[in-house]
Amino acid sequence: MSALLERVQADFAAALAESSAASALMPALVRDDARVADRLALYRGNVSAAWQKALANAYPVVRALVGDEFFGGLARAYGRAHPSTSGDLNRFGARFGEFIDAFEHTRALPYLGDVAALEWIVHVAHYAADPVALTRERIGSLPPEELLMARFALHPACAWLPSQFPVASIWLAHQPQPTVGLPESLDRGELPLVVRPRWRVEVLVSSRGELAALTRLREGGDIEAAITAGLQAEPGFAFPKALVRWLDCAILVDQPAAMIVSNKNQ
Amino acid sequence: MKKSATEQARQNAGATRLGGTGIGLRSPHYGELLARERCADWLEAHSENYFGDGGYDLHVLTRLRERYPISLHGVGLALGSAAGYSARHLQRLAALVRRIEPSLVSEHLCWGAVDGRVLNDLLPLPMTREALELMCGRVAEMQDVLQRRVLIENVSSYVRFAGDEYDEAGFLNELARRSGCGILLDVNNLYVNQLNHGDDAAAQIDAIAPQHVGEIHLAGHLVTELAVIDHHGTRVSDAVWVLYERAIAHCGYVPTLIEWDTDVPELDVLIDEAATARQRCAAQRSRDVRAA
Repeated sequence: MSALLERVQADFAAALAESSAASALMPALVRDDARVADRLALYRGNVSAAWQKALANAYPVVRALVGDEFFGGLARAYGRAHPSTSGDLNRFGARFGEFIDAFEHTRALPYLGDVAALEWIVHVAHYAADPVALTRERIGSLPPEELLMARFALHPACAWLPSQFPVASIWLAHQPQPTVGLPESLDRGELPLVVRPRWRVEVLVSSRGELAALTRLREGGDIEAAITAGLQAEPGFAFPKALVRWLDCAILVDQPAAMIVSNKNQ
Repeated sequence: MKKSATEQARQNAGATRLGGTGIGLRSPHYGELLARERCADWLEAHSENYFGDGGYDLHVLTRLRERYPISLHGVGLALGSAAGYSARHLQRLAALVRRIEPSLVSEHLCWGAVDGRVLNDLLPLPMTREALELMCGRVAEMQDVLQRRVLIENVSSYVRFAGDEYDEAGFLNELARRSGCGILLDVNNLYVNQLNHGDDAAAQIDAIAPQHVGEIHLAGHLVTELAVIDHHGTRVSDAVWVLYERAIAHCGYVPTLIEWDTDVPELDVLIDEAATARQRCAAQRSRDVRAA
């Protein structure tokens, strides 16, 4: 239907991707101004500026770690490798961590990809839905045997990402008012846990037992199964302490009614 | 049964009218807008910033909606992309519209994607019959999905197409007449295009069909050696204020927005610019009275 228009737009997009491709577009443009090629470059600059701005918004810690100039180059390289697929720029950058892992110029920073992957989880958590979290009162009202059989969903913002590097500590040390300094050694792994108690996303350092328990809950297991999984993963796993933290951080929410019914039927 | 877009547009034409001067909602101002008394007639939010399932941004917009009429201004649908636009993007917008119940919904006269690759910029369309056909269909789809009339905004550009068959006013008038959409007239963009391409911005304003204009945008621009850029990072220029007076003399006291996107200043600067727009309207009113 719009054959000519489609070709002009394809030529335009090609000219923005590579300045050497601009000649195909030129006949379609008014060229009474000698600066038309330079003006096309303005659009080219807009595109990479939009990528860079979106990535800087989602990846402030990666940016702080590598500096503005290097980050700009990284953003351009990422944009070429993984072009934007949405008009919503908040969705741009989902594969930045895996891109960094494979990028030859960031090999000297082996933890950078995991920092990026953690930042994406934080970014996504910022836009997650707002369910009503379980309260201490609600948990407190359950007799112990009912609590053991209870199943809860996890807050949609809640996520974790084990790393062989101390990425939670790196992330925490780069917050506006850091309560911890940069880790002294990079030779230890960490289990970052992302939560959103109210509106602000937080990163906690988790443990094997806690993550095993949360994994069991996410899979639909009841509290008793979660405790068992936690103890299997970590003999010293202290469930009461973990439960208090889950409630404080709004990690647990009531399961949707449909899910409770299907669980009962099992 | 679903109403046709045109019927719906007719029905909404009166109901969606906002009054007075609005300011663009930007995240650095969230706290202050929530804390202080109502300080603008209405607020305009960039739709895509509120596409999440939840979270702080949507929470703030929902709270502000209790106190302010809201206009939702989209920057990402790229309606004029010949290869297609994202139906999912439009569905997300529809969900936001259901949630916020805005007074106005607008998008741009532009394109921005080629087969799956999105350029995230408001790229200029050739002003051709082919592009008009495409835009008429797309605007009709958008209005059908949203079940309401939308406004379409003229953009600034750094290049012009050799095959143009309309000027901007002529294109927008036809688009509005055929699709039932309204026009969001960006006076700064007309002025930027005058400087970049030698258009006559005043003549473009005079040629716009006033009954279709549902909103006016005002913003600052940046003059560089290469081109003038609508960066929305300064106060409105004197030349644009003069064109604004011409626009309201021609279109009436259309809801007017102060936009600011680059180097966002203190909220009071936006409020001050909005007050200037109000004064310009008052001055025009007294001229109308004298003329009557």
